[in-house]
Amino acid sequence: MNETSSKETLLNAAVLHWMHDLAAQGIVTTDSELNVVEWNHWMEEHTGKRSTEVIDRNLLDLFPELIERRLDRHYKWALEGQVRVLSQALHGYLIAMPAVSGEHGYSQMQQAVRVSPLRHEGRVIGTLTIVEDVTERVVREAELQAQLEDRSRLLSNEKLARNEAERANRLKDEFLATISHELRNPLNAIMGWAHMMRLGKLTPANVERAVETIYRNAKSQSQLVADLLDVSRIISGKLRLDVRTVDLIHIVNAAIDSIRPAADAKSIRLQTMLDPAAGPISGDADRLQQVVWNLLTNAVKFTPKGGRIQVKVHRVDSHVEILVSDSGVGISKEFLPYVFDRFRQADASTTRIHGGLGLGLSIVRQLVDLHGGTVTVQSEGEGKGATFTITLPFVGVISNNQESDGAQPAPNDEVVSFEGLPSLEGLKVLVVDDEADTRELISEVLRECGSEVVMSRSAAEALVALKEHRPDVLVSDLGMPDEDGYSLIMKIRALPSDQGGQIPAAALTAYARAEDRMRVLRSGFQFHLPKPIDSAELVTVVASLAGRAFKH
Amino acid sequence: MKLTERQSDALSELINIAFARTGAALSELTGHRVVLNPPEVAVYRTEELSLALAKFVPGDVASIHQVFAGPVAGDALLLLNYAGAVHLTDLLTDGHKPSAYLDESAREVLTEVGNILLNACLGMFGNLLNVHVTFSVPRLHLETLDELIASTTTDKTEMHYALVIYTAFQIRDSSVKGFLVIVLSVGSLDRLIQEVDAWEAQQSK
Repeated sequence: MNETSSKETLLNAAVLHWMHDLAAQGIVTTDSELNVVEWNHWMEEHTGKRSTEVIDRNLLDLFPELIERRLDRHYKWALEGQVRVLSQALHGYLIAMPAVSGEHGYSQMQQAVRVSPLRHEGRVIGTLTIVEDVTERVVREAELQAQLEDRSRLLSNEKLARNEAERANRLKDEFLATISHELRNPLNAIMGWAHMMRLGKLTPANVERAVETIYRNAKSQSQLVADLLDVSRIISGKLRLDVRTVDLIHIVNAAIDSIRPAADAKSIRLQTMLDPAAGPISGDADRLQQVVWNLLTNAVKFTPKGGRIQVKVHRVDSHVEILVSDSGVGISKEFLPYVFDRFRQADASTTRIHGGLGLGLSIVRQLVDLHGGTVTVQSEGEGKGATFTITLPFVGVISNNQESDGAQPAPNDEVVSFEGLPSLEGLKVLVVDDEADTRELISEVLRECGSEVVMSRSAAEALVALKEHRPDVLVSDLGMPDEDGYSLIMKIRALPSDQGGQIPAAALTAYARAEDRMRVLRSGFQFHLPKPIDSAELVTVVASLAGRAFKH
Repeated sequence: MKLTERQSDALSELINIAFARTGAALSELTGHRVVLNPPEVAVYRTEELSLALAKFVPGDVASIHQVFAGPVAGDALLLLNYAGAVHLTDLLTDGHKPSAYLDESAREVLTEVGNILLNACLGMFGNLLNVHVTFSVPRLHLETLDELIASTTTDKTEMHYALVIYTAFQIRDSSVKGFLVIVLSVGSLDRLIQEVDAWEAQQSK
């Protein structure tokens, strides 16, 4: 050995020594019998075994766990010349050592290991094992992975919410387009005919036609507005039911009567199968009638001329079922799940054949829900008709302090006819409203039925008129400037009875909510008449307030 | 240089023995049944390699690369496309949710898997040729196919061939495609094929 090579050998030995000592990994060297030759400082520190305890001892004797865990094979393969990789993910660790800090949940140090053969002149003379502590890395990777999952979950949630918002927005847009169209349509007719009437150039026959058209269109617009109000009340949770004992058969009949003219006009046959044992039930008579009316209107709308509509009411166990089936256009499978969605119509195009806002069925469902019932729809497909089934719980009749509402005739507002209405002959009615048009209209209707009418424009005027004219009945608007109807009735009720303090009174209001009605009744009115005024209802109410019965 | 059908069949059969061993080792390691599909073998000139593989591994390639030396020398690689590499790691490590990328732990798992497979194949060749080959430490690379081929250690003055072994890992109802590529000098390949012929002749006796 020359000087240079011997110097190199010495240097190599010194470097190796320091590398072993300084290395941030475990380094274990064995001979070909797997007896430990080198055990570096890192191994001493982490295993707690001094090199003097392990050197010259067999690795598999020192750590019999290696055999139990079948890791000794890697040494066998290394001795055959293979380099072996032991990943943390598949093995955890090679030699058990405590984790440096237990805070991350690992008590054992997680290790990445390489085992390789040591060769001399082509022969394997031993093995070299490098152990790396990867505990912190593994913990960090798991955290990162969790963060990524969180983020992707957030992203997908956000995307869902955005899609939903976009869908709702689109529905609202479609709805707005529909609503403008639907509101403008009747308005056109009203404006047009009113304009011609103002010009005074219509023949008497045409005037009649104009009035009829204006009335019809105003009515349809009023229905649209009523639907909208219902929807907004339902959305804001403000819709309350006036629950009483009601006669379902009566309600269904009233609804049928009100759509009969429309059905007749299209030569649609109306078949009814109403089981008298089905009623009475507990519910809001007006709302239930609205439900049936909506379904029937829908059926008429979507049933072609000469078709058939069947209404069936019967009891099924503890439920009452109302079935409305038609031989109409039916509902496609695709649209079936959305039938009861708000603002949804099967055909959202601008050239729709069927008008309306698409609110009716949504209102039906909400109202039926409020009654604790269900509404479902079946259709075999387009052109094959549809059957709506309402199921209402049969609660039995709880006789509460309120009178049965079922006997009361439901307002039939299809045709204004003064025939059959009670006579108001000999009655004096005080009408209070700040709006001249309404005042005139009410007065006209009442006079038509034989009543004498005194009109007042304000609460103050009304108090004077009360003393002067001694009317039999008071009909007063609620919303008036200066002094409203509530204030007026309270002042009147404070009067002694000989000065009109007990006069029967009905309130007029555009707000037909149940809580408004309560307030009206509490403040001293006996009756509540929603606007727009239905002539027949007005006359009936006035007659009833005056103690007059129906004239037949 | 082309393999005859008999040579190709014989080589496939030999490699399949190594695959069976690899499958058994991976099954034991992961606790899931791992099967490697029977290999399909082809030989390409290294210049043709990039073209031949490009259609199977577009985009980034994850490779486990081991250099071997001895009487037979060359480069041995396990090639997976990036998504396949991520998927294989998830399947082998019981990853509860699919990972998006290869973290260090995942790369280490791939290195171990590649190491097992390459050791089994090269060990089998060593036994066949009755020679001892020495291996370098396996390393994992993420790069394009061309970069990868350029990084092989072959001496560019000598003609080299690549033995391409196509297979797929079958684990837990999933399948991940992969390639083993063994780049050999023409001399080494010749020697290998001679031994394969001899083995085949012995088998058919």
